Amino acid sequence: MIVELGHFTLVLAFVLTLVQSTVPLWGALSRDDRLMAVAPPVSVMTFLLVLVAFLVLTVAYISSDFSVLNVIENSHSAKPLIYKISGVWGNHEGSMLLWVLILVFFAALVGLFGGNLPTDLRAVTLAVQGWVSAGFILFLLATSNPFTRVTNPPLEGADLNPILQDIGLAIHPPLLYIGYVGFSITFSFAIAALILGRLDAAWARWVRPWTLLAWCFLTLGIAMGSYWAYYELGWGGWWFWDPVENASFMPWLAGTALLHSAIVMEKREALKVWTVLLAIFTFSLSLLGTFLVRSGVLTSVHAFATDPARGVFILGLLCFFIGGSLSLFAWRASMLKQGGLFAPISREGGLVLNNLFLTAACAAVFVGTLYPLVLDAVAGEKISVGAPFFNLTFGPLMVPLLIAVPFGPVLSWKRGDLLAATQRLYAALALALAMVLFTFWLWGMEKILAPLGVGLAVWVMAGAVAEIVTRVKFLSVGPKRGFDRLVGLPRSAWGTAVAHFGLGVTVLGIVTASAFQEERIETMRPGDTVNLSGYEVTFDGAAPRRGPNYTEEVGHFTIRTGGVVISELDPSKRVYTARQMPTTEAGIYTTGFSQLYLSMGESRGDGAVDVRIYFKPLITLIWIGCVVMAFGGALSMADRRLRIGAPKPAARRKAAVAAAAE
Amino acid sequence: MLFWILIAVLTGVAALSILVPLSRSDRARTAGTVSADEAVYREQLSAIESEFERGLIDAEAAEAARTETGRRLLAAHDRRAGQADGASRGGRIRTAQVLALLGLPVAAVGLYLVLGAPGQPDLPLAQRLNAPAEQQSLEVLVARVERHLEQNPQDGQGWSVIAPVYLSLGRAQASAKAYANALRLLGPRQDWLTDMGEALTIANQGLVTADARSAFEKAAALDASAVKPRFFLAIALGQEGKTAEAIAAWETLLENADETAAWVGAARQQLAGLRGNQPAGAPQRGPTQEEVAASQDMAAEDRQAMIKDMVAGLAGRLGAEGGSAAEWTQLIRAYMVLGEREKAETALAEAEVAYEGKPEDLSLIKDAASQLGL
Amino acid sequence: MTRKQRRLTLIGSAGAVLAVALALILFALNDQIVFFQSPTDITEKAVPTGQRIRLGGLVEEGSVVRSDNAEVSFRVTDMANVVSVTYKGILPDLFREGQGVVTEGIIRPDGVFVADSVLAKHDENYIPKEVAEALKDQGHWQGEESAAN
Repeated sequence: MIVELGHFTLVLAFVLTLVQSTVPLWGALSRDDRLMAVAPPVSVMTFLLVLVAFLVLTVAYISSDFSVLNVIENSHSAKPLIYKISGVWGNHEGSMLLWVLILVFFAALVGLFGGNLPTDLRAVTLAVQGWVSAGFILFLLATSNPFTRVTNPPLEGADLNPILQDIGLAIHPPLLYIGYVGFSITFSFAIAALILGRLDAAWARWVRPWTLLAWCFLTLGIAMGSYWAYYELGWGGWWFWDPVENASFMPWLAGTALLHSAIVMEKREALKVWTVLLAIFTFSLSLLGTFLVRSGVLTSVHAFATDPARGVFILGLLCFFIGGSLSLFAWRASMLKQGGLFAPISREGGLVLNNLFLTAACAAVFVGTLYPLVLDAVAGEKISVGAPFFNLTFGPLMVPLLIAVPFGPVLSWKRGDLLAATQRLYAALALALAMVLFTFWLWGMEKILAPLGVGLAVWVMAGAVAEIVTRVKFLSVGPKRGFDRLVGLPRSAWGTAVAHFGLGVTVLGIVTASAFQEERIETMRPGDTVNLSGYEVTFDGAAPRRGPNYTEEVGHFTIRTGGVVISELDPSKRVYTARQMPTTEAGIYTTGFSQLYLSMGESRGDGAVDVRIYFKPLITLIWIGCVVMAFGGALSMADRRLRIGAPKPAARRKAAVAAAAE
Repeated sequence: MLFWILIAVLTGVAALSILVPLSRSDRARTAGTVSADEAVYREQLSAIESEFERGLIDAEAAEAARTETGRRLLAAHDRRAGQADGASRGGRIRTAQVLALLGLPVAAVGLYLVLGAPGQPDLPLAQRLNAPAEQQSLEVLVARVERHLEQNPQDGQGWSVIAPVYLSLGRAQASAKAYANALRLLGPRQDWLTDMGEALTIANQGLVTADARSAFEKAAALDASAVKPRFFLAIALGQEGKTAEAIAAWETLLENADETAAWVGAARQQLAGLRGNQPAGAPQRGPTQEEVAASQDMAAEDRQAMIKDMVAGLAGRLGAEGGSAAEWTQLIRAYMVLGEREKAETALAEAEVAYEGKPEDLSLIKDAASQLGL
Repeated sequence: MTRKQRRLTLIGSAGAVLAVALALILFALNDQIVFFQSPTDITEKAVPTGQRIRLGGLVEEGSVVRSDNAEVSFRVTDMANVVSVTYKGILPDLFREGQGVVTEGIIRPDGVFVADSVLAKHDENYIPKEVAEALKDQGHWQGEESAAN
């Protein structure tokens, strides 16, 4: 009964989204307050209903209810509880349900916390969100219903794909989807603005927190996915330029551009057309990503659903939403008024530069991802576009952007002074050059590019610090007052600095881990020792072990430096019994920010195993930097000024004024 | 019933989320509406002030920014004043109310009836496994024992319990494996060896394979007086085309036989078949050895299809022309092997009609049927 | 600067960045893409040695030979032609004889394919799409049903 109730709530939610997508819009067009007032409660209701459906499916998974087809196909009674839960979204139907849940969740958030928005903007935004939700719930019900039942339930399920049985999977998709799908709300805002013909600085300010929210989660989601691939696939790589990775990376690039152009629009009312276009593009890229992953046009590590009917359905949704929004844009964009003027060298100019490089980089990734598909469809020729292509296109486009990053925040609006800005960054520049020389001294001249990369990363990091330091004028007002000013800085300024610093940290991790990595592949017998980067790795032997739903061959390795044992690692080869599928579990030793990474190949029968050992200096910085970036975004989102309408607490206001007046 | 009540409640709550905002008075709504854009611009003005105080922008820039924002503030104010009041008209509201009260339930329930399976109960695994034994299907009971054996693969007694159950479920191959496990763990026993041989024979559509044969031979060696293994060994000889040896084996077997025993009839028939006109080894017109051998190479589904074809042919022939008791027994067994219990029961009923006058043959069929769990 | 000049600067710089991006993309597409070849393509078309290609097909039964130092050699077949492959490294989890595989690398002058990466997808029924189509071309593909069994 519970399962059927879940099914019904999903159907009911679909009908409600139809109401949500029509009634408020009708109200907005006929200026009827009561009809518009329907939008918020209905959006909250829809969210609750989809939540119930999602929980019901989760209960079916936990209780191993094999009368549900989806549970049969993706669960197994012997699976640990956490993977029964995460298995809900470890398959096509369940993950699409999560997708829809987040979609309606964002609508509910706007319904609940959008009280400061103009009534008509909120109503139309929710209506547009309703169209998207209705489209995807229909997709679920029509082609990928997670509540399909079977009459003769078997006693055991087919189990979840073993590489998805990992704590990473429990976290990665929800984070990624909140990011991915979160951009739907900026899309809805953009469409609502086009419909209502209202596009101004106020609009940009309302949209920014939603963009920031989605962006933070997408950043974390991509980082999490990258770390998951790194330790679960056992290849030691952290980014493969896999089409599915690109599918999440493109919205991130476009979303980052959107985040910056929204600032220009908010402060200066310039770049209106561009910002709206970016909002449409960002969500379109999310949809495209969904299409690529779900339709089976790609062969990828991640592609779990390969059903032509689904592909066609999503393609239809894609054409409708992207085509429709771009047509609307073409029709209505001309009425947008010209915004504020600015000189090329100015904060606006810097942000435009940022947008240019980010969109160009996004276009490069787009071409690299889709070109093989198009070529195959048109000429029937099969090619693969791999890391070399992206390194050659994406890399050079990032370099000028990274050089420019520290300049942006120190330039003033409207008309900036490049020389004065450079003066503020002297210290950062000196530090970066020092790091370049230091790296040359440390590693020699063989690798020319790597020290320059390190310098670039340090430049971005130091630039972020320099911006804060110059803003509070530590040097001229003294540390005591400087500290007061530091506290008084708006949170968005902190957010910018922290996020830029995080970017530098990630770049540093990428450069060092790629350029200075050391790798050995050896056949080792028990007792053999391999020396790598000052570590002595000894293979002690392998032994079989039994897990809840797998058996494994575990190797035991001892890590020493100078004869002293510092760690023991147990990488393994697993075979999951239900699907008879092997996986590799890497052994990882973290020291400082660096890691020693060990993965084992098949055992050769006589006790010898093939072992791959990497030393990856500073690799964890890649993901730490992403977390810092997301934290910067969160800081920026917490800025009081983005929460219009909330009265400023009197006491704090006085303190801030006092601090500023001193 | 509870299900439909809950559905009604859910639909009702959903409809309320539309109806409640529709019924609120206009005044209550408009009173709460502050011009949102104006708030933004006011915030921006104060931000300019604080940035100026902090020395982030100079006086000239601050003044310019103030002017610009002030202009936007005025524009927003004018726009609001120019807007018509958001008055509601009764017709629209009524349409929306009808939508909520009628459209929503009809569409939702209608769509659900198309897509869903109302009334199908939940079947959590734990509930299925823990239900009292008498309420459970045989499959679930088997699954319980299987689970137990997965945890304790050294439990020979468990294997010996599940083995005959497998056979009666038509999983002859699994049954043979279970017997093999029991024998491995608890040592050889005549009845288990015999039953294992029988399971292997059934798994191969009545052909006594080398494995089955060696099991029967071991069983016969353990207990020379046991009839069943020797019965099958005699069949094996017949199938191998060693007619003379087979006849000798049957004769020895029948010499000491208790004439009332169920198997005697079948044995006589075999013997008659071997001596008489029919070609050796095919008294029941089963598949030829070539056919059986061919079936080993077939894909599982094809083999299943071939068996079904043969069984259907046998059933047709017996229905039209009648046949021996052994043939009826074979048909019933075949149905059970295929898991078609109903058809097996029908066949049994038909056989009872056909053999009404011959209690001896009838009891033979009935015995075989009860052995199969009918 | 006048309004017009500002505009021109903006448009000019945008054009410059896009031109650079376009040039990079075209250059990289010319140089960095890797063509997929079946063993038959390699035998018949005489792919120049030293050029990076992707080779896909089935791992021939009984052809996998492991030597010390984690080196392994095997033969890739599309049922019509066969190419020998050597690889140093750890084979993916799903690498099996008789299963589909995609390798990337270059052909040595002696005709041996030196792979630097070997891919097998994480799915028990996986035959890489390219491989499936190459096999279809050779008439050794029985369609989806048999793959699913």
